[in-house]
Amino acid sequence: MITLSNENIGAVASICSNLAKACEKQHRAQESKLFLQIEQYFNERQVKESKHGLIDLEPLIQADISQAYVQCEDAAIAAEDRASLRAVTWGKKVTAIHKSLLSRYAKQQEALLDNGQLYLCEACGFIAISAQVPDMCPICKAPASRFVKIQ
Amino acid sequence: MHAVRNIKLCTKDCLCLFVCPTGATNTETGQIDADKCLDGCRLCVDACPSHAISLVYDRYPEVKRKTSDVQSALESLLDNKVVQEAIALSVAETSEGTAKKLATALAKSNRILAEDCARESGYLIAQSDAVRQLLASMLDQPYGEDFPADAVSQLLELL
Repeated sequence: MITLSNENIGAVASICSNLAKACEKQHRAQESKLFLQIEQYFNERQVKESKHGLIDLEPLIQADISQAYVQCEDAAIAAEDRASLRAVTWGKKVTAIHKSLLSRYAKQQEALLDNGQLYLCEACGFIAISAQVPDMCPICKAPASRFVKIQ
Repeated sequence: MHAVRNIKLCTKDCLCLFVCPTGATNTETGQIDADKCLDGCRLCVDACPSHAISLVYDRYPEVKRKTSDVQSALESLLDNKVVQEAIALSVAETSEGTAKKLATALAKSNRILAEDCARESGYLIAQSDAVRQLLASMLDQPYGEDFPADAVSQLLELL
């Protein structure tokens, strides 16, 4: 269980935004709104990482791919926990996409989006560069309606 | 367990009005009257041609606990994704053009990944001991006047 501290404000914000979605799906609009209010408070207090550039993400992404996801996958397999294994399977694929996008950006810079726009799958976090909205998410198989264009 | 209508999917064929034995589906708000709805009846759910009605539990059973290995692995992934979200957000604020768009996409994507870790580490649905404990512990923190303590108290009552 998470113990509240100044270090995990961001984690609590994500827990609250997830619970807002969960309540919305259960048709509990009032509860959903209340969780969004609490999320807002923690979002505003999330530690700002002001010195960083996109390049600083690369070692963190690499560490997730080579360590954090591997550990989590091993633990989920050992526990026969298919729900966690599903999250790990999607998450490590999305994280590999982050890595590939950053290395493409390092080479192409502004030209990265010359022939397409960024589309985000709101179900799993997959990011596509595409001239039009993708038909289906290659990672979680969500339909085109789950994609948003990044403006 | 009572029926709820997703108004975005409702095509106003109104089959629910004609199959409901208690009139619970016939309301001025477009929502189903939970007090009149019969527990688990589901006649309206099966009749609706647009799949706009579903059943929800009134009281959820406790969520199954994860093993401690899975739990701690998911929590450290959650922390990592939150750090990456924060970095991407700060890049999005201070850059332009392609870098800004890419950073925005990465921030949103990391939030989705963080939420997924939160979901699997015991915070899937709000009706769980883990969530009630987290909310209760927020009220013990010295968060100051702008903390929405009212929202927390209301949730503790509703859940």
